[in-house]
Amino acid sequence: MANLKEIKRKIKSVQNTQKTTRAMKLVSTAKLKRAEMAAKQSRVYAVKINEVLSEIAYKINQYKSGAIESRFFTNNDTPKTIDVVFVTADKGLCGGFNIQTIKAVRNLLKESAEQKVTVRLRAVGRKGIAFFNFQGVELLNAYAGVSSNPSYEKAQEIIKAAIDDFIAGKTDKVIMIHNGYKNMISQELKIADIVPVQPPLHSMESSSLMELEPEEGGEEILDALLQKYFEYNMYYALIDSLAAEHSARMQAMENATNNAKERVGILTLAYNKARQESITTELIEIISGVESMK
Amino acid sequence: MNTLKLEIVTPLGQIFSNDVKSVTLPGSEGEFGVLPNHASVVTLLSAGIVDIELKDGNHDVVAINWGHVKVDENSVTVLADGAVSISGGSESEISKSLESARKLLESIGDSDVAIAIAMSRVEAITKTRKL
Repeated sequence: MANLKEIKRKIKSVQNTQKTTRAMKLVSTAKLKRAEMAAKQSRVYAVKINEVLSEIAYKINQYKSGAIESRFFTNNDTPKTIDVVFVTADKGLCGGFNIQTIKAVRNLLKESAEQKVTVRLRAVGRKGIAFFNFQGVELLNAYAGVSSNPSYEKAQEIIKAAIDDFIAGKTDKVIMIHNGYKNMISQELKIADIVPVQPPLHSMESSSLMELEPEEGGEEILDALLQKYFEYNMYYALIDSLAAEHSARMQAMENATNNAKERVGILTLAYNKARQESITTELIEIISGVESMK
Repeated sequence: MNTLKLEIVTPLGQIFSNDVKSVTLPGSEGEFGVLPNHASVVTLLSAGIVDIELKDGNHDVVAINWGHVKVDENSVTVLADGAVSISGGSESEISKSLESARKLLESIGDSDVAIAIAMSRVEAITKTRKL
């Protein structure tokens, strides 16, 4: 009889878990819709500003002209110090979402160590911070509480620190890593070199004939454009990551709910078997008792 | 007919994307017009009005507060911080978007005169369109 009670308790407990995970899934679904909308709206702008900048990078590299702000555009093949800005979530329970980003960062650390390149980490998101703190890896900057509530001002603050160091010559490269939103059910790890600005991957034969004429104060324009580019890329990484986080959590919670359901099924079966068994035993006892009275 | 592809994007999404005849932009050094086959240029934009001449000869107006433009031979890409498209079929819709355009221009604290000039231009253009 004790066994029966035990199983019943287990069923109850799993059912409660199921309720929790289902609720969390619903919450994530609602949040995802909003985050997805924000990410979609900003994507056009992010893509465009990257296009414009990479085109400028291509042209500056091709003509080597002006040498304005060339450090931002010329590729340094042997960087000595790299800044890595990576974005993780503030909360867990979202499957492999955070681990994927962390793995990418660790791979980068390993590769750089082999090439004797110093890597400095700037972490955004509690999960990433906690992981590297636990591992005893030093973080240059840690921003907690930004990933779950991204804003343009915070993005500005984060990227400014990295860019200022780049301008001061402390670093040769800034890389941004985040787990981005692909669609409702999948995420995509995005690793991007922020500075130096990368020329477009495909060659631009069609426009290679025309020249870009920087007007008076070309540097000023480029400065403003670059700043916008850095800030916007950071901001986009944050909101993209948030959308991805919610989609990952939604999926993880969906799986958890299904697992709980399966578990309840198995336990119910076990419960019924145990119940039947006890009834049979009781019956045998009664019958044998009656038999012995005869 | 020669046209150029105009795209206006803001952090909140794409405002405009179409083939147009010409476009007049509020450059930081003064207003300038762009026709197809314009020389390529990248420049800053200040607060003001983007006047778009559509293929059918009608005009569309977009108010922007700050941004960049990249012009090349057959495309114009405007990256604006904030933009309000002044459009709508009815009087009330237009006046509503006019109001938000005014707010956008005022939010950057430009001088009243500049705002007044911009707004009067918008009104003039929207009037010609309706005829």
